[in-house]
Amino acid sequence: MNVALFVTCLADHYFADAAADTVRLLRHLGCTVSFPEAQTCCGQPAYNAGRQGEALRMARHTIGVFEDADAVVVPSGSCATMVKKFYPRLTGGTATLADRTFELGEFIVHRLGVTELGDGLAGRRIAIHQGCHALRELRLESEPATLLEGCGAEIVPWEAHDECCGFGGLFSVKMTAVSAAMADRKLDTLPEIDWVVSGDGGCVLQLDGRSRAREMGVEFVHLATALWRGAAAPGGAR
Amino acid sequence: MTGRERILARVARATAGREGLPHPGPLDVPPADDPAAAFVKRFTSSGGEVVEPDPGRPAGAWLTAFLEGLDPAVAGVAIGPEVPPERRPRLPEVAAAHAGAGVSAAWGAAADSGSLILPSTGGRAVQLLPPVHVVWVPEGRVFARLEDALAELRKLDEDLPAAVGLHSGPSKSADIGQTVVTGVHGPGRCIAVMG
Amino acid sequence: MPTGIRDYPARAREIIRKDPLVRESVTGATIAFDEKRRRSYAEIDAEAWRRWAEGVKNHTLTHLDRYLTEAEARLEANGAEVHWAEDAAEAREIVMELAQRHSVRDVVKGKSMLTEEIDLNPALERARIDVLETDLGEFILQLFNEPPSHILGPAIHKSLQQVRNLFTEVLRTDSDADPDTLAQAAREALSDVFIRADMGITGANFLVAETGTVALIENEGNIRLATSLPRVHVAIVGIEKLLPRMTDLAGFLQLTARAATGQPIGCFVSLIQGPALHPEDDGPEEVHVILVDNGRTDVLAHEHAWEALRCLRCGACLNVCPVYRQTGGHAYGYVYSGPIGSVLDPGLLGLHEAMPLPFASSLCGACFDACPVRIPIPELLLEWRREAQEAGLTPWKERAALAGLAGMATRPGLYRAAGKLGSRLAGTGMARSLPMLGAWAEDRALPKPSRRTFRELWRAGIE
Repeated sequence: MNVALFVTCLADHYFADAAADTVRLLRHLGCTVSFPEAQTCCGQPAYNAGRQGEALRMARHTIGVFEDADAVVVPSGSCATMVKKFYPRLTGGTATLADRTFELGEFIVHRLGVTELGDGLAGRRIAIHQGCHALRELRLESEPATLLEGCGAEIVPWEAHDECCGFGGLFSVKMTAVSAAMADRKLDTLPEIDWVVSGDGGCVLQLDGRSRAREMGVEFVHLATALWRGAAAPGGAR
Repeated sequence: MTGRERILARVARATAGREGLPHPGPLDVPPADDPAAAFVKRFTSSGGEVVEPDPGRPAGAWLTAFLEGLDPAVAGVAIGPEVPPERRPRLPEVAAAHAGAGVSAAWGAAADSGSLILPSTGGRAVQLLPPVHVVWVPEGRVFARLEDALAELRKLDEDLPAAVGLHSGPSKSADIGQTVVTGVHGPGRCIAVMG
Repeated sequence: MPTGIRDYPARAREIIRKDPLVRESVTGATIAFDEKRRRSYAEIDAEAWRRWAEGVKNHTLTHLDRYLTEAEARLEANGAEVHWAEDAAEAREIVMELAQRHSVRDVVKGKSMLTEEIDLNPALERARIDVLETDLGEFILQLFNEPPSHILGPAIHKSLQQVRNLFTEVLRTDSDADPDTLAQAAREALSDVFIRADMGITGANFLVAETGTVALIENEGNIRLATSLPRVHVAIVGIEKLLPRMTDLAGFLQLTARAATGQPIGCFVSLIQGPALHPEDDGPEEVHVILVDNGRTDVLAHEHAWEALRCLRCGACLNVCPVYRQTGGHAYGYVYSGPIGSVLDPGLLGLHEAMPLPFASSLCGACFDACPVRIPIPELLLEWRREAQEAGLTPWKERAALAGLAGMATRPGLYRAAGKLGSRLAGTGMARSLPMLGAWAEDRALPKPSRRTFRELWRAGIE
């Protein structure tokens, strides 16, 4: 299957290794991956700030960039939501890109039909942070756990797993104290684990930033990296 | 122009360009098969109590013994005007504010919400002031759904009582440190007598 | 009414840093409420109930003039008196006039957010009328001299120990009294007030047009008492509270309770058609219904925000909101706080007055899933943000930064260069002096940029 990668701003600059792991994982699963170089920002910062005009310009740019792609994979639940849910709102429902775009976990489970990747995460205790957009806008709830368990990981229940981390883009710098307190609620309820895994770079920046400020020593791993580690170890993908 | 006219004019203006949306009709929840049993389950799970009178004894005598057997034993009662003579306890009648229990008769009950339906013609102070409220629920008057009960009430039209109370358990509050306490203002015990 | 809304970020910070007990109490209580709500929704076909309730409210709000006049006619036929108040001042004047007409000295109140909205208690107190809040939570706050922090649990931000200390001082209870003993003390303090009071003042959860029924939901019984024992009952009702039919109440009474506290229905519901009829033993001689606009017709006229008028004031969106949970309601600076406050206040008060509330959300979407009438709160927040941007109500630096981003994002070459520069800068000591990153770094470690960007890795070839 031909897949175009929409890497997203944060993954490009802060999670480049996770983005590369996305490519490795998709190739490993038999996909041919392309990377349209003209891609930029999905426009969500502008959209969430209420600057719909600018968001629309960015949406049109992105729609143009991926015009010919059969399937677009996004290693971010939030940016995937922007394309899948908010582009149709912005453009008046004409964005067919929405139907061709998939969040990484969604793509593997629902498009490729794969849930068993390998056993590279055997013995690893993982808490999953469910990003709000993937969870409540795209209704992707079980996919990360299915895939991580499919790599042999033990998913440890976390009472705050589906609560917002407090990132919210501009929110994190406009309402810093509230935003940080929201991260604290997540961090203070973390069970005994090896990794926190999230499919969203923004959430990781927030939680990791707060955790490092508090010197908590929690290890955050992007979903793409976790899955690639799970698949690449001996045992391989099925 | 009065304030009333100005408000109504603003409402009309505000909605003028908007499509008038239709009423979706009844909610239509599937009714319980055995309304009386469903009522008991719901009412008791909300902290209400249900008792059945001893069929071998006259209702009034049974209730007298029942009230005397409560802890603390009821000495004086307040009795609602709609309680039929044969169902009145033989205990001294006192003002509701001083009664150990209030006795009233329900117009009916609703199973899905677990509610006793109490018209104001049955006396409000009796239903509210004593620490224990004992309510006769007439046989065959448990509606499967609150919706059905309200439809029946609605038919009274001009004869609707001035007020109707739905009592679905004892008075409670969680306003102090999120701990549930009962009997805050209204009755701390609400006892439905079935039959 | 002057509000403290514009100080939201500073006040939120102060509560979080200086009064950590508030965060602890509010978080604990709202999580407990929300769990009950979830369990209660799971017992019914919640999606069907919510869509039905949304439909009934939409129908009512798009035929509101008809239902208002129908309710008025029916109430008058029932013997009640109907008053119309365009704003808070008029509503207060009507109450004061009624109080004078009946030489009222003691008022008992049921919990009502609308009476907070119109600032009723201070007006009554200025006229030397004793006003007593009879809801236990409101009673506690009246003693603390604080406004409610939550639509439903007004004293949600107070711990057991704080209430204990207060009651020890005011009601002479023991310093280690349990909640039952404290409630008993409150009951005793309030025991004869209903009998003594001349007037009971309440809000309303619903007003049924076809029967003129004022419907009130509660758990304590104080509203039933306040509407039954005093000579005069005054119900202060927002014009959006209408429902067409008596049978509509069945769904709404149950859904409101499930959303609010997870109960199948409130312990007590009062359905009030009018004053006591002969030959009733007791009940008010007069019932007055004051229909209040106070900005509601402005909300109704708004192309999008009118949907917020479906609100049942159940508090479910507050309970589920991770933003609200950190501070409780006082940070918001107005009577309606949390997610619903952030979309309703701009409509009621004007957007300028309500800034920056539309931005006091991470847009996590939990509120929409909890809302029993499916108010699209995240979408409405975005709509208010859009209007705030258009009206120039946001900081210019922020607008410039976002315009810059859009400019770059449509020019890939520029975007690549600027992105690289930006993320490298963010990793250096210079970051703290940049406007947005400086705010970030107040509470968080700076993000660590990847050694090489993905683009660089891609060009080098990914093995």
